[in-house]
Amino acid sequence: MEQAMDMAAAERGSANLARLIKKLLLNVIMMLFSASCIFPLIWIGYSSLKTQSEFSNSIISLPQKLHFSNYAEAIKLTNMLQLSWNSARVTAVSVLAIVLIAFATGYLIARVRFKGKRLMVVYYLFGLLVPIHALLVPVYLLFKESGLADQWYTLIIPYVAFNLSMPILLVASYITGIPKEIEEAAAIDGLGFSRTMFTIILPMAAPVLTTVAILQFFSCWNEFSFALVLLKDEALRTVPLGMSYFKSQHSTNYPQLMAGMVLSILPVAVVYFAFSSRIVAGVMAGAVKG
Amino acid sequence: MGKALRPSGWLVLLYLLPGLAIYSFVVLVPILSAFRYSFFSWTGRPKKSYIGLDNYAEILRDEVFWHAFWNNVIMTAYGLIGQVGLAFVFALFLMSKAVRWKGFHRTISFFPSTMAPIIIAFLWTLIYNYNYGLFNEFLRIVGLERWVQSWLDLSGPIVLLVSIPLSWQNIGFYTLLMLAGLAAINKEVLEVAELDGATGFRKAWYVMIPLAKPTLIVSSLLCIANNMRGFEHIYAMTGGGPGNASSVMALYAYETSFLRFRYGYGSALAIMIMALTLLIILIGTALLQRRRGAEGVEH
Repeated sequence: MEQAMDMAAAERGSANLARLIKKLLLNVIMMLFSASCIFPLIWIGYSSLKTQSEFSNSIISLPQKLHFSNYAEAIKLTNMLQLSWNSARVTAVSVLAIVLIAFATGYLIARVRFKGKRLMVVYYLFGLLVPIHALLVPVYLLFKESGLADQWYTLIIPYVAFNLSMPILLVASYITGIPKEIEEAAAIDGLGFSRTMFTIILPMAAPVLTTVAILQFFSCWNEFSFALVLLKDEALRTVPLGMSYFKSQHSTNYPQLMAGMVLSILPVAVVYFAFSSRIVAGVMAGAVKG
Repeated sequence: MGKALRPSGWLVLLYLLPGLAIYSFVVLVPILSAFRYSFFSWTGRPKKSYIGLDNYAEILRDEVFWHAFWNNVIMTAYGLIGQVGLAFVFALFLMSKAVRWKGFHRTISFFPSTMAPIIIAFLWTLIYNYNYGLFNEFLRIVGLERWVQSWLDLSGPIVLLVSIPLSWQNIGFYTLLMLAGLAAINKEVLEVAELDGATGFRKAWYVMIPLAKPTLIVSSLLCIANNMRGFEHIYAMTGGGPGNASSVMALYAYETSFLRFRYGYGSALAIMIMALTLLIILIGTALLQRRRGAEGVEH
């Protein structure tokens, strides 16, 4: 009897031990995973502050003295201020247009019955699956022939078009969750369709619109391929495009290249870490509804 | 339904028009015009000559294109394992009560997804670099000096090597998708499974996978679409090299048009890429739905 109880206790003990080991193992795996996601970025971060010879001596060691001149050089050589201004202008206009169009379209999908609605939703869904880089050549030809290439607004057109599908779906599903009584009350108060849409519903949809704006900010700020084929004018280059030319011309000075990389990641990193919980929640909400 | 929800048809059209116009102009019009150009031989000069189906006949014989297509397929396979598959595993780990700092892991692992593909490509070119790369440094530290090499010059494993950065960048995104899908699974179901003695691996295989089926399908579809359209990573990391070893369809179409100025052929390639991609997506959907469906019935 006593022996049996001892054995049971021992079994429980070993089960506890197994659980402890499992717990430890899971946590170690997850820490390694996260570390592998962030370490390469930390590496370019501190390496960008080394001199070139310091970096060639040991690529992994920390800088002995913080060498900020790499940044000054990278800013000068890439013309980073000009690149950032171009990117900011294209991105700001594109994101604003995406948010407005996605709101109007998403609202109508969620609330209004009209002919061809299903077809329109499928048409926009197609944009998620279409291999957009297969369109590089035809879009280039179209823009060249219609004189839309190489203008300050050139990139806004594809950036808005390619980033409509997901936001429209997100907005439509969010607005479906808002009770219809709100609009009915507004109608009783004598508000028309457009007034209700923009003064009552738009503020209520602010959370999903913010998520959309942030995600599309990343997408537009980072886009490279269409900038590559649609812009020849050096003065219009965006950050990714400028970085690509910078790399092909100065690829041997690694710390300097890394400084340029840090600069081009910086706006995205600031926005991401400022809003990370909202972004993560937004992506997850989109996933459930998508 | 109140009056506020019954706008006139004209008003509806007015609100829908900007989106439809810009979307059609960049997505639909180029597809239609590419279809038209695909029947011409055209070097960019005003004169185009009609050659019927010759461009398509050439594509069928074009070994470089089919090699690029095959690379897209292989990359998609690596993507399904390295992005969707691993993300599913990490999502299961993150669901476990044992794991701490969940928010931290979620935030950190999603960060690479927000970065520019071109910057990711530079980063990994540095990681694979012969003299100054992290990868070779790591091999030297653990005493595997004889493995040290110029990684991106290897034509054998090059497709795997360029797929790793893609996984690295996207795994956090798919993990979030999975987490959202798994979180929607009823907690009671999981508790019942645990009472029945299903733990760890068995629980994942028999309970979680069938229940997470919709999320897995959506993630796989996105993953297929993303890998079939891959361009920027390859352009910036290897330029399709060494030789054509790591070329993908979009890069080949780009080179045909912008380096060799064969716009007619490039347009035919664009149409072909579109058709092949949609075909692969269709096959993928059918396979996923059937297999998962069968599993669901079995258990």
